[in-house]
Amino acid sequence: MAGKLEILLLDDEPIVGKRLKPALTKIGCDVEVFEDPRKALDRIHRKTFDIVVTDIRMEEIDGLEILEHVLRKSPRTKVIMITGYAMMEVAREAMEKGAYDFISKPFTPDDLRKVIAKAAQALGSPIDSETADPEEPSEPAETR
Amino acid sequence: MPVVTLSSDPLLGREIAVKAATALGYDCVDREILKAVADRYDVPETDLHKALDESPSPFGISSNHHARYLAYIEEATLAVLLKDNVVCRGLAAHLYVRGVSHVLKIRILPDPQKLAGEISSGKTSSFEKVSTLLKRRERFRRRWSLDAYRVDETDPSVYDMVISLTRIDPDEAVKTIVETTGYRKFKPMTYSLKCLKDKALASRVRVALIDQFPDARVEADGSSVVVQTKALEREKQKRTEVIKKLAGEFPEVAAVEVQILPDIFRKAAESFR
Repeated sequence: MAGKLEILLLDDEPIVGKRLKPALTKIGCDVEVFEDPRKALDRIHRKTFDIVVTDIRMEEIDGLEILEHVLRKSPRTKVIMITGYAMMEVAREAMEKGAYDFISKPFTPDDLRKVIAKAAQALGSPIDSETADPEEPSEPAETR
Repeated sequence: MPVVTLSSDPLLGREIAVKAATALGYDCVDREILKAVADRYDVPETDLHKALDESPSPFGISSNHHARYLAYIEEATLAVLLKDNVVCRGLAAHLYVRGVSHVLKIRILPDPQKLAGEISSGKTSSFEKVSTLLKRRERFRRRWSLDAYRVDETDPSVYDMVISLTRIDPDEAVKTIVETTGYRKFKPMTYSLKCLKDKALASRVRVALIDQFPDARVEADGSSVVVQTKALEREKQKRTEVIKKLAGEFPEVAAVEVQILPDIFRKAAESFR
């Protein structure tokens, strides 16, 4: 991996991408946002991302299917699952299928940055998650 | 790495817990922490043991003391589990860490034949007698766990793994436990660590409330805490204020919601006066 960390962010709620993209761009990530899982899958098949952040509960294709597609294509990609319906069974299933991490909504942009920084470290490309704007609101960015 | 909780007959499990902890490079936490809990809250250590072994009764430990002592134990145990890399035994942790995905909950079932020797301490004890004793103990544990945590600890679905020492010897059990901790599904993640932190915070708030509100149920979600307790209508405002003040004293707590449920028994008792 050279240069910026390539991240795909998939959530069918537009507010999520809108809030999180600037937060991740600030720490030097290149972020592509998708609301439609089919379009995201199409992009995943054409491009290899370092990190994929995906919601679990979506119409048509759920996050666990996205996880399987991503890891089949690129086992080194770190997949971070986000959900407003977190339960132990789903969390365990996601981890068993190879998810890198699992976050429950609501969370703050800073919470996600910390997980992204951990994933970047695991990829051998550490980033500084502290370079974000200190004026940035710390309230949760997410809704269910 | 996952945390391991071991639930077993009091006479069993220590050897397995210690060996598993050693193999994993973990600490083994058991009732030895009760001395520190007793010192911290200035209560007799023997009463803490009783709370873990006995149900409340008119001739033994009262309901309020039982709830209070268990709250102290729960708070201390969760603080230890937060440190990670722990095998925990004998503190009923499997009953209050439910829903935390990186806690591997294991039940060890005794081999009546082998246990007979330990119980009788050299005296002859028939297999039938020991089996009857074990069944009685199991019935008692079922009642205790339902009284204390509304969970039947004899129900296998409470656990991730149940190991019967009739068929698996202790060393094999240790090997199985160590191998299972390596499964990806038990790996700690941001969500499961948050669940454990929430439970630890809720337990600390509950301890702060328990003298005045022994029936209080506390749940935490990040920096928000929800407290549920029973009261009469006229007590509602005062109780809400006190709870908000006590819970709000924790620096991690940003918001406190108090849910007062009607105390129908006290209301009925008052209406008969």
